[in-house]
Amino acid sequence: MIGLRKFLVALLLTSVLFVTSCTQQAPSRFDGAQQESTSKGATAVVDSSQSGGSFNRYFPSDSNGYQRVYTQEKKGFAEAKLKKDGQEIAIMSISDTLNNPTSVDKFKESTSKIGGYPTVNQGSTGTAVLVGDRYQVKIRSKDASFTESDRTSWLGKFDLKGLSKLK
Amino acid sequence: MSKSIFELVDNLPDNNVTTMMLRSLDSIVPGQWENTVGFENTIHKVTGESDEGMIQQIGDRAVRLYNDKSQGYLRAMWLYQTVDRTDRALGTAALANKVGDKIPLLGGLLSKVTPNPDKAQSLDLCIKLVVELVAFCQINGIPGDSIGDFVGALSDYSGESLMRMAALVCVDGLIPLGPDFLLKAQSTLGGIGPKDLESNSTFSSVKELIPGGNTKGQLGFIGNSFDSVQGWMANFVQERNLTPQKVMGNLQGFLEFSENKLDYVAAFIDMSTNYYEHTGTQTLARRLIERAIDEI
Repeated sequence: MIGLRKFLVALLLTSVLFVTSCTQQAPSRFDGAQQESTSKGATAVVDSSQSGGSFNRYFPSDSNGYQRVYTQEKKGFAEAKLKKDGQEIAIMSISDTLNNPTSVDKFKESTSKIGGYPTVNQGSTGTAVLVGDRYQVKIRSKDASFTESDRTSWLGKFDLKGLSKLK
Repeated sequence: MSKSIFELVDNLPDNNVTTMMLRSLDSIVPGQWENTVGFENTIHKVTGESDEGMIQQIGDRAVRLYNDKSQGYLRAMWLYQTVDRTDRALGTAALANKVGDKIPLLGGLLSKVTPNPDKAQSLDLCIKLVVELVAFCQINGIPGDSIGDFVGALSDYSGESLMRMAALVCVDGLIPLGPDFLLKAQSTLGGIGPKDLESNSTFSSVKELIPGGNTKGQLGFIGNSFDSVQGWMANFVQERNLTPQKVMGNLQGFLEFSENKLDYVAAFIDMSTNYYEHTGTQTLARRLIERAIDEI
């Protein structure tokens, strides 16, 4: 009997050790991206992409009670809020697709154009246009009052032609 | 190895001393802070998207951006984590002693904390402010083409960022230093030299990421940063009529203490909470996710 009890205690202790040593984070659907991006030499932004600051001048200016507030400026990316009467209604951005080449794939299915450049809706709140096969200009609504047609109209207020010449 | 951004956001607590303290300050910045935890949940909250394919793409891009050292996110996270020197055991002990919804700050708990002298507390306040400024630039870059654009971006603080600044003013300013905390901080900064700064433990922990070259330069940078935001802080206090008594009333929503122990309340909150790390993680995740959805 004592032998069995000892055996059970030992078994219990080992299983406790086993269980506690395995209390790691549960697998995540983002593990793949984590592993790839922490491997040697991995980058999310390439040197050849444009500086974020070079995009600022192509954004629409303040007008008629609308206010533009720049919020992010990182390599290959610039972002601004669009506010009306102090309220955030949309987010506007320009990004260099050299940093995320698969982002241009969606434009192959585009059926309409803004200023001659292909445009698509993305997700439930976004509309994007691809300029010069390289720069993605995107607007996302942050308020239900800012509709798809507002997004299209504001995309047209960017200096898309100027941006297409940015080298 | 440092943790992934999804682990950090997934591991944010729903309820601990930090969240209790932040909730108690809600009436100072009404409705600005919601304790959003969990990476996928944050993606959903920030973007409004619930399509699984979109969430996967946004999350993958955010993970990659976070891990790219050149992008500054890792440095910002390190700053937010390092400037909070939390004694987790004290937080756990405090929660274990909870009576109803409140932690009684009496007897045993009280004996575990030591109030910071005014000089050290003033410096802590200034260093936390500088950390915010440096982390802001690491996360967002320097948006726009002019100083005006940059100030516009700074004054556009909302959500968890505004709550972090509210907590800074309240629990690192008004409560430990009193209503003239800005003057005290300014006179402390004006009266110290590089040696004093070196001996401050908060400074030593984050000094490698404070601009300025050497300690003297860093002291100058801290002074300039403080000067540039003290107007904003004074306004914040004035617009809301904030006083130590008023903040005390807020804190009494989760903490039981006697009114003559304010310095102990400040020391207890300093040691048992990590509100910079908690809300800083939320801010960083939000900005990263905003960028990720724009880049996919």
